[in-house]
Amino acid sequence: MDPFILSFAVVNGLLQGGIYGGIALGLSLIFGVLRVVNFAHGSFLMLSLYLSFWCWNLLGIDPYLSAIVTVPAMFALGYFVQSVIISPLIRRERALVVEPLSALLLTCGVFLVLDNVALMAFGPDVRSVQLSYYLPSLMLGPIPVNIPRLIAALAAILVAVGVSFWLRHSHAGRAIRATAQNRDAAAMSGIDVPKVYAVTFGLGCAILGLFGALISPFIPATPTIGLAFGIKSFIVVVLGGMGSIPGSIIGGLVIGVFEAVASQFVTATSAAIFSLGLFILVLLVRPAGIMGKA
Amino acid sequence: MTVSTIPLDRTAPVGFSKGPALALIVLLLAAGLPLVTQDSFFIHSAIMVLFFAYMATAWNFLCGYVGQLSLGHAMFSGMGGYVSVLLFTTFGLSPWLGMIVGGLAAAALSVVIGYPTFRLKGPYFTLTTIAFAEIVRIWVENTDTFLGFHIKGAEGLVVPMVGESFAAFQFGGKIPYYYIILGMLALAILATLIMERSKLGYCLKAIRGDRDAAEALGISPTRYTLTAFAISAFMTALGGSFYAQFFRYINPERNMGTELSIDMALMSIIGGQGTAFGPLIGALILTPLAEVTRGYLGGTFLGLHLVIYGIVLMLAVLYFPKGVLEPLKNLAVGLFRRRNPA
Repeated sequence: MDPFILSFAVVNGLLQGGIYGGIALGLSLIFGVLRVVNFAHGSFLMLSLYLSFWCWNLLGIDPYLSAIVTVPAMFALGYFVQSVIISPLIRRERALVVEPLSALLLTCGVFLVLDNVALMAFGPDVRSVQLSYYLPSLMLGPIPVNIPRLIAALAAILVAVGVSFWLRHSHAGRAIRATAQNRDAAAMSGIDVPKVYAVTFGLGCAILGLFGALISPFIPATPTIGLAFGIKSFIVVVLGGMGSIPGSIIGGLVIGVFEAVASQFVTATSAAIFSLGLFILVLLVRPAGIMGKA
Repeated sequence: MTVSTIPLDRTAPVGFSKGPALALIVLLLAAGLPLVTQDSFFIHSAIMVLFFAYMATAWNFLCGYVGQLSLGHAMFSGMGGYVSVLLFTTFGLSPWLGMIVGGLAAAALSVVIGYPTFRLKGPYFTLTTIAFAEIVRIWVENTDTFLGFHIKGAEGLVVPMVGESFAAFQFGGKIPYYYIILGMLALAILATLIMERSKLGYCLKAIRGDRDAAEALGISPTRYTLTAFAISAFMTALGGSFYAQFFRYINPERNMGTELSIDMALMSIIGGQGTAFGPLIGALILTPLAEVTRGYLGGTFLGLHLVIYGIVLMLAVLYFPKGVLEPLKNLAVGLFRRRNPA
């Protein structure tokens, strides 16, 4: 194997992996706090891609600036989905009818609705944003680095650090962590648990809003793109450890590099098969993931 | 050991005497349907209702009774379809035999997959089934030739016309297909009813109730869940073969895509998983919606039926966690009692 091609693959894999990790952050956060596997995760990303596209197409807003629109919009949507659709189920589960799969099914319903509403509204066409300026590739030695991807990957790390810091040091963050540890004890200490849940879900979706804007320069919006990213996020989160913020980034980097290097030996689609295989292997051997508590 | 030590589900055997009679009447009515109308669209829709009822019943055979959610069953459907079509196009083997071969292959695959994965609980099991199904689908989509068989990747396979022939599973009109899928559905429901009252059924319910307690009683969860998984995969593969022969076309997206897996699961969940007739009720409620939007609204509202599926699924999870069969039954019993005060 040519060392140049290999290092090129590793650099690209790291960028791609950082983006995977950033997209998976919300899934991990929501699972960590609510214990809900959000099947609609990719659909929220798909919606933010569309939102970013329409901001650019109709209003002429630069895709990077469109984050000002997508982040609050996705926060509001997440807040709404949690407080209107998922919270009745959590209230019922408290009354001893514990059925962890119900939440998965419920979000599966959200996935069906969102994806197909997008299909009805926008049709199956592929829509991509064109940046009005040219971003030259950064040269890392002999290796060219794509700037939009670098921005998204760096943003993933910044967001992960920011969210971890916020969870650790802010009052709201402490409330979220307390609720994740023991929701009944948190409720008895005066924490408004339903609100914490809604804010967490909103935050998870707001992160997707940000990444929808950041990846729109190089990922075109289609109504069905959500599921692929959703499944990728499941892989990343399981690998890194469900509920772990740093685990999400590390899992993303591992998958990104793994796929990039594997696709030097086999086709890119077969590399996707390998990462699914890795996912199954991790679930069977170490379900807690790399950073999770075993 | 005796199975009688396991507490029986009190809701299940109610109407044990009336049930079969009622089912027989419904079956006869369904068999008489083509005598009433021969409208092609109507018969086609009826075939789709029965097909999805059959697929949901096959899914329910495992998932409804063990209480695990598989969102990967479409891989068995695809396997059955591909094996029967390939055996037909390559060796001229009758699809009737080909679907059995496909079914056995799917059953073998289910054991290989099920053995390590059934230890996983709840969402973890679900995610694994999705991953396995995606592996199979991506592989088929990107493979042109495998062991000398022309799979043709994402393009799919067309079943060549050989003229009307029972052995080739090709008929002039749609009505023979209607009777075939009706028969398959009746057999699948019968198999579920037999399983419910057999040792396998009681053991599965015990495992669903409390896996550790069941194991302590000497029930091997692996053995019973794998048996049910193999039967469920076998039935699903037969359904996949039927689908391929009926449309004379098969491709990875339609025959082994996630959408099909979700359809199978949500129909039995909405109807009532863990009941013999729940999946049929679910398919009766949902499939006509899909057929009507497809038939009358055409391409203008692509995906509308899935939006409705999603909303119905959410409502069912929130308000009818056991499916609509039980509330419907209670309603019927209530109406009956009111009219004939005892």
